[in-house]
Amino acid sequence: MSEYQDFLHERDRIDFLLQKGYKITNVTENLSGAFVDFEKSGESNGEAPRETLHILNADARKYFSAMLMKQQKEEV
Amino acid sequence: MADLRINLAGIESPNPFWLASAPPTNSGYQVQRAFEAGWGGAVWKTLGDPILNVSSRFAAVNFNGQRVAGFNNIELITDRPLEVNLKEIYETKKRFPDHAIIASLMVEPNQAAWHEIVKRVEDVGVDGLELNFGCPHGMAERGMGSASGQVPELVEKQTYWVKEVAKTPVIVKLTPNITDITVTAESAVQGGADAVSMINTINSLAGVDLDTWNTIPHVAGKGAHGGYCGPAVKPIALNMVGECARNANINVPISGIGGISNWKDAVEYMLMGATGVQVCTAAMHHGFRIVEDMIEGLDTYLDEKGLASAMDLVGKSVPRYSDWGDLDLNYNIVARINNDICINCNKCHIACEDTAHQCIDMLKDGNGKDILQVREEDCVGCNLCSIVCPVDGAIEMVEVPNELPSMTWNERQAVLSSTLTSQAMKK
Ligand SMILES: Cc1cc2nc3c(=O)[nH]c(=O)nc-3n(C[C@H](O)[C@H](O)[C@H](O)COP(=O)(O)O)c2cc1C
Repeated sequence: MSEYQDFLHERDRIDFLLQKGYKITNVTENLSGAFVDFEKSGESNGEAPRETLHILNADARKYFSAMLMKQQKEEV
Repeated sequence: MADLRINLAGIESPNPFWLASAPPTNSGYQVQRAFEAGWGGAVWKTLGDPILNVSSRFAAVNFNGQRVAGFNNIELITDRPLEVNLKEIYETKKRFPDHAIIASLMVEPNQAAWHEIVKRVEDVGVDGLELNFGCPHGMAERGMGSASGQVPELVEKQTYWVKEVAKTPVIVKLTPNITDITVTAESAVQGGADAVSMINTINSLAGVDLDTWNTIPHVAGKGAHGGYCGPAVKPIALNMVGECARNANINVPISGIGGISNWKDAVEYMLMGATGVQVCTAAMHHGFRIVEDMIEGLDTYLDEKGLASAMDLVGKSVPRYSDWGDLDLNYNIVARINNDICINCNKCHIACEDTAHQCIDMLKDGNGKDILQVREEDCVGCNLCSIVCPVDGAIEMVEVPNELPSMTWNERQAVLSSTLTSQAMKK
């Protein structure tokens, strides 16, 4: 698979969560890439659902960073 | 005709082209011929206790048919007594009062020695002084040149001693044989320098002879490291000029030196913050008359750009020189191959396939003709294909829009760390 296909695949996974109302709550970067934690707050009952994506592709790591910047701007 | 005159820390010169302190400025005969040819200024071959030289002294690095891509020397400072040089400086200044003559000086790190030489050269009417803290060989072993230029405290102290008595502007010439040239440039400014110049030569060994196993050059079968200059060092020197120009603590004019061979090189240095330039290797390779093309080229360029004065160029590219962390991670360019111009040598394909991102395909067009095509979505815009392409215009690097907003590494890290902080606060 080309790097671009990797990117599209990982971007889709990020978009999928963002479109469902998840927000990025934490990013851990290490030798293996980035582990991005998502959380969906505002659910009426129970614990807020959480997901973690392991992002490997460089462009996808730029992508979630840009989404995080956007998210922070919206929160302000 | 644009105004080519420059004023570097009070030193006026009819144009920005000076000869650097080196063999071309060894004597009055040479400097006067240089001024007749059109050079605006000359930094006299470094004065100090007259030295003894070895033979031979020079070696060149030729690269793929280009002679003197780099130049290496193990020559020291002037081998003539001070009185002889001073007499010729006096005569030259009298004949060419409007041209800049700068005396390059090197003595041991001693206050009295600096005071003495400064007074004696200023008495004959030089327009400025350049302190040679740069020669990497011979003199350095005696505690002078780059040996003192590598110690920030010594740069500051010696500059200060010179400034105690100097009546003319003091330029401090820096060695590139140091990790961060801005440190010694700042020391020069702290010591009171009116300007800094860079670069002197870079420690080098030109080569080893495969038959004799001697160094190149060698002196009776023995070699010693020399100093490298010429076109090969230009990118190194240009970066050093740029780093100093954008450093707020180095708030003095810069005289740019290193691999300048034509007017275009000079303009690049001036855009990157140099008020004027100095030339050595190109003059040694092609003679004094290269300055005619330099003057004409600069003049035409200024007219084309609608600029009235050469001084208008100084520093114009400095705000565009930044740190890696301030570059936009979301700016994208890709390669596009123009198959009407491409000669199908496949060099781009090989380079991309073997050493880059495997995104140039060898295909056939509708008529069965071999063509090369970039898969733009996989291209990272590294430029390698256009660098190795032997045909101008066959590969173009084009900007592609990115729906993501501009984002630098520093901005990204700030956002990431503030996410972490806000999460920690929530918990
Ligand atoms: C043969 C030779 C002798 C030099 N002697 C001196 C010198 O006496 N003083 C000095 O400050 N620089 C000296 N230099 C360095 C030049 O002034 C200049 O800084 C260096 O060559 C870089 O410029 P270029 O690339 O145009 O040659 C010498 C260079 C060469 C090649």
